[in-house]
Amino acid sequence: MDKTSYDAIVVGGGLAGLMAAHEIAVSGYKVAVISKVFPTRSHSSSAEGGIAAYIQGNSDPNDDPQYMTYDTVKGGDYLVDQDAAELLSMKSGEIVRIMESWGTLFNRQPDGRVAVRYFGGQTYPRTRFVGDKTGMALLHALFQRVSGLNIDFYNEWFALDLIRNDKKIVGLVAMEMKSMEPTFFKTKAVVMATGGMGMLYAHSTNAYINTGDGYGMALRAGAALKDPEFVQFHPTALYPSDILISEAARGEGAILKNNKGERFMTKYAPKKLDLAPRDIVSRSIITEVKEGRGFPGGYVGLDLTHLGEEYIKERLALAYEAALNFAGVDATKEPIPVRPAQHYYMGGIDVDITGTNYDLIGLFAAGEAACVSVHGANRLGSNSLLETLVFGRETGKTVVKFLSSANESSESLDKEAEKIVDEAYSFTKSESGVHFGVVLNKLRETMWENIGIFRDENGMKTGLSEIIKLREMAKNMYVTDKSKTYNTEFFNALELRNMLDLALVIANAAINRTESRGAHYRTDYPERDDKNWLKHTIAYLRGNTVEIGYKPVKITKWQPEARVY
Amino acid sequence: MSEKEQEIVVKIKRFSQDKGNYWQEYKVNVDRFTQMTEVLRRIKTEQDPSLSYRASCHMAVCGSCGMKINGEPRLACKTLALDIVKKYNSNVITLEPMDYFQPIKDLVVDLDDFYDRMFKVKPRLYPDKEVLEGKAEQRLKPEDQRELWKFEQCIWCGLCVSGCPSVRNDPEFLGPAAHAKGYRFLADPRDTIYEERLKILIDSSWRCTYCYQCFNVCPRDVEPVTTIKKTRAHTRFLKDRSAVAEIGEKHIEAIEESIKDSGMIKEAEVYLKTYGVIASLTDLIYAFQNGKLKYAFVKEMKVKNMDQIRKIMGD
Repeated sequence: MDKTSYDAIVVGGGLAGLMAAHEIAVSGYKVAVISKVFPTRSHSSSAEGGIAAYIQGNSDPNDDPQYMTYDTVKGGDYLVDQDAAELLSMKSGEIVRIMESWGTLFNRQPDGRVAVRYFGGQTYPRTRFVGDKTGMALLHALFQRVSGLNIDFYNEWFALDLIRNDKKIVGLVAMEMKSMEPTFFKTKAVVMATGGMGMLYAHSTNAYINTGDGYGMALRAGAALKDPEFVQFHPTALYPSDILISEAARGEGAILKNNKGERFMTKYAPKKLDLAPRDIVSRSIITEVKEGRGFPGGYVGLDLTHLGEEYIKERLALAYEAALNFAGVDATKEPIPVRPAQHYYMGGIDVDITGTNYDLIGLFAAGEAACVSVHGANRLGSNSLLETLVFGRETGKTVVKFLSSANESSESLDKEAEKIVDEAYSFTKSESGVHFGVVLNKLRETMWENIGIFRDENGMKTGLSEIIKLREMAKNMYVTDKSKTYNTEFFNALELRNMLDLALVIANAAINRTESRGAHYRTDYPERDDKNWLKHTIAYLRGNTVEIGYKPVKITKWQPEARVY
Repeated sequence: MSEKEQEIVVKIKRFSQDKGNYWQEYKVNVDRFTQMTEVLRRIKTEQDPSLSYRASCHMAVCGSCGMKINGEPRLACKTLALDIVKKYNSNVITLEPMDYFQPIKDLVVDLDDFYDRMFKVKPRLYPDKEVLEGKAEQRLKPEDQRELWKFEQCIWCGLCVSGCPSVRNDPEFLGPAAHAKGYRFLADPRDTIYEERLKILIDSSWRCTYCYQCFNVCPRDVEPVTTIKKTRAHTRFLKDRSAVAEIGEKHIEAIEESIKDSGMIKEAEVYLKTYGVIASLTDLIYAFQNGKLKYAFVKEMKVKNMDQIRKIMGD
C-alpha cells in the first residue's frame, strides 16, 4: 500500500474543510484535503438563502450580537451551547468581511456595502446573500482562494476509515476512485468536514453525495456523536423533486397557503407567521395536509406572485428557475408546490467550541459533520453557512496550536491500514446476495416513515428493528462490478455502511429521548421537558449496540423559556 | 398536476478499460417531473449497480452531471426525461460521456485538462493589501456586482469546453470557461493584478472563432463568448501584444473603417488592411489555387443612407 505523510488531513472539501485547510496551510503546516468529489461539487454549493452576520455599522441600528445569540438559542429550543452561539455571533461580521475581501460577490446596498434581508427566527434582519446562490458563491470564492495556497488536494478520493493507536489518531486510509488504489495517510490531526447525511431519508433536499461518511468513520473509530436524534426538515422543498426552495422566499415575503387559499401560519405562529423557525413550519404543513387542506399528492402552495416578476428573478432566481424547470410552475404567476423534506443534521461528531473531540486525540470536526453545538434542537436559516466558515476557521486554528506540540507516532501501523482495506472489501466481497440499492431504498423509506417529522415510540421501534435487519442484510452485500477503475458501486456500498451505522445511532437516541424539543417531535411526549432532558445526548457505537450518555448544556445568559413565535 | 407515468428507453454508451466502448439499454418509468439524474439513480439502485456517472446536487449548481443527452451537451439534472422525449418525438434517450475529455468509466470523464485551464487564469481576487489585512473596507457598486455575478456563476462543469471547436484545434486557446473566469476578475474593480491578467488573457481571446457553442450549451447562461468579446476590448491597454492579438485588432479596425466608409464589409479591403500587402499577396496565390480569387474582385457598391449607418455606429 502506498504511504504518505501530512501534518494534518482535512476530510471534505466544502466550506468548513476548505476554511480549516486555509488556516493550517497559512501557518506553514503540510496539509492535504481529501474529498470524494471535486471541491466545488460539495454540498455547500447548494446552500441558497444566505449567511447571517451582525456587521458593526452595517446592521439594523437596534441589532446586537446578543440578540443574534438569543435568536439562535431560542431557535434551537435551548439545547444550544450558549458559549458556542456567542462565538458564532461575535465572529459573524468578521467572517463576512473576510469572504468579501476574497472576492465573494455579495448583493449590495446602493452605497456599495453588503446588503441584508430577513430570515426565519431573526429579531432583526441579518442575512447576507448572493441572490439565492449564496453557498455556491462562497464555495467558489473560498475554493479559488485556497487553490492558490500550498495545499495538496486529493479530489475524488474516498476515505475508508481512521487509524488510531489507543486513543490517538495516527492516520487514515483513503482510496483513489480512478485507480481504486488505497493509500495510508499518516498524520497527526484529522479534521472531519464531511458534511451531512440527507441520503438517509427518502425525501431530502441534500445532494446525492451526503451519506454521512464522517459520522460513520468517527463512530467506528470510537468517537461519540452528540445529539444524533435531531434531524431538521425544511418546510419548503419543491414537490415532487425535493429541490430546496430557499427560506429566502419567505424572507422576501412569500406566503404559505393551503388548498382553501388560507394563510395557515396565522394559526400556528401568529406573530412570526411564515417566518417561524423551520421545525414549526414543517409540522404546520404536514398537519394541514393530514387534515385534508393540502393539495393531492401532499403539498401546499408557496405564493410569491405579489413580489413582482423583476424582484423574483433577481433575488430568488434559483427558486424561480427550479419551480419552472422541475415543476412546470411559473412562480411569478402561481404558487410553488412545496412540502417538507429532510434538510440538515443538527447532530454530529462531538466537539467543543475549538473543534476538538475528546474521545480521540488528534480528531477534530467542523461544519455539518460536527456538533459544536450551535444549532441545538433546530437550526435557524442562514446559520449553517456561518457555522461552516466560523468553526472551520476556529478548528483550523486549533489544529495549528495542536500541531505545535504534537509528536508523530513512531509505531508502524501498516497492518492496521491493511485491515481497513480488507474490511472494506470483505463487506462487499460475496459472490451473490443483495446489492446496495435494495438495502439503501429500504433504509431511506424506513427513516422517512418511522424516524421523521412526527415520531412516537411504536413507530420508532419498528424503524429500529428494520434498521437492525438491514444492517445484518448488508453484511452479505455484493458488488456486481469488478472493474478496477472508478467503481462507484463499491463506493456506494461503503457509503451505505456509513449510513447504516448512523441510522442505528439516530434511532436509538430518538427512542431514548422522551420529550419533544425542536426538530425532535414526539406525539407521545408532545411537551418539552427541561427537568429531565435539558442535556445533550452522547452516543457511542459499540459493535451492534449503541451506548448512550449525557452532557450538560452550557448556559451562560439565557434561561429556558417557552418557545412561542 | 398529473403524474402519469410513461416508459422510456435509455441507451447508455458505456466504457471500461476491460470492455472498451459498448451500448447498453435500460427501461425506466418516468413522469413529467423526472430529471435525468433521477433516471440514472433509479437505474443504478434498481437495475444495474455497475453503471458509473457523476451527480451531486441535482439542482444545477454543482456541475457534476455534464454529459451528452441525445447528442446535446447538457446537465443531466437540468434535463427532464419527458422534455427530451417530446423534443425528439421518441421515447429512446441516448446518454454519452462529454466529448473532448478522455472517458474513465461509463459517463465519467477525466477533467484534469479542464481544471488546468481554469487555474491558468489565476481564478481568485487579489485585493488591496490593506483590505486583505482587514484595515480597509472595499465597496462594490450594485451594478458592478450584477455584471460580475453573471460571469462568476460558472460551475466548472466543462460542457462549454467539451463543445468548443477552437479548444480542439488551437492548443494556445484557454477555452470558454477559463475566459469567463478570467474576465470576471479582470473586470472586478477590487482586483490589483490587471496587467498580469491581460498578459494571460489577451492573446488567447483572439483565438476564439465566435461559434457561440459555449453560449448555447452553458447551463448557467454565463455566456463565455461575451466575456471573450469584452476581454478583446482591453487589447489596446496591453503593451507587448502577440501577433495574433495585433492582427485581431487590425482586423476589427479595418471592419469598422469599411462599414463607416461603405456601410458594408468589403472583404478584400479588410483582408488587405488586416494582414498587410505582402501577406495578402502570398495568400492570393492560395486563393487562386483554391478557385476563390474571383471573390477578391467582386465590385462592392456603397449602401444608401450612410448617415443612418453612421448614426447606429455612434457618430
